[in-house]
Amino acid sequence: MEKNKDTLGLHTFMQDRKTLFCYSGPLTEDLLTTISNPVRHQLSDKETEETVSKRVFGVFIEQAQNIIRYSTQKTKSTGDSIGTIAISVAEDGFLIEAVNKIDENKRDVLEATLVELSVADQKALRQMYKQRLRDGPPEDSEGAGLGFIEMARRVKHFEFNFVESEEGALFVYRGWVS
Amino acid sequence: MKFEKTQRTPLVEIGSSSCLIKGECYPENIAEWSGPVLEALKKTLADANTEFNVDIELYYFNSSSAKFLFDFFEFLEESAEEGKKIRINWRYRAEDDTMLEAGEDFQEDITACEYNLVIVEYASEE
Repeated sequence: MEKNKDTLGLHTFMQDRKTLFCYSGPLTEDLLTTISNPVRHQLSDKETEETVSKRVFGVFIEQAQNIIRYSTQKTKSTGDSIGTIAISVAEDGFLIEAVNKIDENKRDVLEATLVELSVADQKALRQMYKQRLRDGPPEDSEGAGLGFIEMARRVKHFEFNFVESEEGALFVYRGWVS
Repeated sequence: MKFEKTQRTPLVEIGSSSCLIKGECYPENIAEWSGPVLEALKKTLADANTEFNVDIELYYFNSSSAKFLFDFFEFLEESAEEGKKIRINWRYRAEDDTMLEAGEDFQEDITACEYNLVIVEYASEE
């Protein structure tokens, strides 16, 4: 009976928060290829402007690749990165969320970067993006070091938290697109 | 030389006097995909003695691919500085501000190549 309650609870919870897509577990580039299509399909199902659904998709891809590259929680057998990613319908748009464990030592740098991005306007963000492209990726980046700037440019607003948990620090990112 | 389009990579067609890149670009590993593309372009451009035409029509690219595009334009710019005649057409859909801005940003660093921002009237994405 308890189990049934859980299942129903999960259903109700997801429905109530209008979550269109949610994945929690090991995330790989192969899996990202596979889920890209249903995610797109979900977004185009709604009466959404193409420019909006493209922005949502763009933020989703950057968040997913952040989990793949930087989550410090890995599967034992294959070392794949574990995290959670979701897209929900929010007031006049969409909410894209991601949670993953991060390296405690990188927290301060990440926090400083995100604070800087959160107060920058579109013009400043565009400038930062160009500058980063010219300068090349920072030392500890596996990508181009552009991901968070790219996301900041595509969202209307974003929030982040670092949450201490028993297994270490969890990084929580929320971006709203409309 | 033709690189077929995949779900996460654009079509690339390199002819003796032209290069076309069309589609979306967010590959699993950008270096793995772009290495052969840049190599083929370098080889072709080295032999090109007429005007070389580059058409780029992207609908979406991720931040890792932006670095590839930056390197791609840098290479074209260097080639033009060495005397190659190169024309770049950045093609974007009328309503696509994101791709227009990207095209404008790349344009800022380009002086030796001819660079045009071209509106595509009809979506030709399959």
